[in-house]
Amino acid sequence: MRDLLRSGAEGGGFVPPSSNDFELPPIFGNNIYTTKPIALVFLSVILISVFFIIASRKAAVVPSKLQFAGESVYSFVRNDLAKDVIGHDFMRFVPYLFTLFTFILVNNLFGIIPLLQFPSMSRVSFPYILALSVYLVFHYVGVRKQGAIKYFKDIMFMPGVPKAAYILITPLEILTFFLVRPLTLSLRLFANMFAGHLLLLVFILGGDHLLQGVIGLKLISPFAFGIGIVLTFFEFMVQCLQAYIFTLLAALYIAGALADEH
Amino acid sequence: MQFVNLAAEAKINPLIPHTAELVVGAIAFTLLFLTLRKFVVPMFEKAYADRTNAIQGGIERAEKAQQEAQRALAQYNDQLSKGREEAQTLREEARVQGAAIIEDLRAKAQEEAARITATAHSSIEAERQQAITSLRAEVGALAVELASKIVGEALDDQARQSRVVDRFLDDLEKSK
Amino acid sequence: MANREENAMWSIFGYLLSGLLFWGGVGYGLDKWLGTTYLTLVGLLVGISGAIYLVWLRFGRQ
Repeated sequence: MRDLLRSGAEGGGFVPPSSNDFELPPIFGNNIYTTKPIALVFLSVILISVFFIIASRKAAVVPSKLQFAGESVYSFVRNDLAKDVIGHDFMRFVPYLFTLFTFILVNNLFGIIPLLQFPSMSRVSFPYILALSVYLVFHYVGVRKQGAIKYFKDIMFMPGVPKAAYILITPLEILTFFLVRPLTLSLRLFANMFAGHLLLLVFILGGDHLLQGVIGLKLISPFAFGIGIVLTFFEFMVQCLQAYIFTLLAALYIAGALADEH
Repeated sequence: MQFVNLAAEAKINPLIPHTAELVVGAIAFTLLFLTLRKFVVPMFEKAYADRTNAIQGGIERAEKAQQEAQRALAQYNDQLSKGREEAQTLREEARVQGAAIIEDLRAKAQEEAARITATAHSSIEAERQQAITSLRAEVGALAVELASKIVGEALDDQARQSRVVDRFLDDLEKSK
Repeated sequence: MANREENAMWSIFGYLLSGLLFWGGVGYGLDKWLGTTYLTLVGLLVGISGAIYLVWLRFGRQ
């Protein structure tokens, strides 16, 4: 695609990467289900499933190295996220939160894995779907726990607040619970991955472009690559952090819906 | 259709989702969720439970051993104190017995001494009586002999003689 | 709960956004309608205050 763009801008110098660089063509013909992000998402499902099934298949009291690796991730989600945040009823949500975390983490990491090098979560559709699932889960949990009427009433009219204050805060509660939460959840993840990938593209494609220029530019090009490499490490941190934050917020929302006093 | 836009060099709004990706995202996530829930989470949970059990079992075993040791110690102490008590009793008994023996012996010795004294007294008395009797006879005879020597043969008559002696002895007794 | 502060931190973000959007929007609408210019700012401030009040209600009380 970039080649196509560049050839379209022949002689026009460097074309800075843009959102168009995230629109990848189908790999097979015109089938829109065969784009790179879709292939990566399926790959992530296979990788995660295979890894954890092997790691947990012979789960023993004294773990093997592989089991230890898998179990570290699992117990991080189980204990540090689910248990600490949700409290005594956390076990019901461990499979869901575990899936969320591993799915987001691996798809984020695809952004810096050589050859793959595309974070699937920079395609906004995936964060949307994940945030939608969080949205459905935490409202469902709240309704199941407290009954639909009490749950929604408590959201809109928090008990123990002077009546006049409802004018000020009720719109904010509704907006927060039903719109801002899912939107910020998905957009935070999307924007981080999108911006990170764009940044990497700028330096790496820029370095490449400089390399093809005159001698003076060729000398600058290593710096661009160098910054690209540093940014790759930075991206790694951001990718892990975003997977963590997404899962943490999902757990916090579930915990909020479960809490009696809203 | 996105690619038509791309060809037209239009900037695509990255916030608009693709239907295909939404569908794939939902399917992929559900698939992963079901797989992990069915195959992975139960296994890890089982390992957790086993580990907890193992640790708990270890603790229980240690506790049992400690209890055992404590019991043995208590038993030992018990036995020791019992032994000590027993020794104490024995000593006490021996002391009491010793005292009794000594007392007994002393009483016996005293009794013996008393008996010996009594025997001595009675034999002395007997001897005295005997001495008195024989003395009386002898003294009588002597006195008679003496008196007859002095008085002559006047007193040969047996009856008179003993009367004189008795009177003499009575006088002797009275003058005492 | 141990995560109370963390929870409060993330909630502030959401409530502030809601506050600014809603009351800022109301102010902006009133400005358009009445031809004034300052109501948007007032709306934004009301939104911020509402958000902070709400966070206090949820996490600051008791």
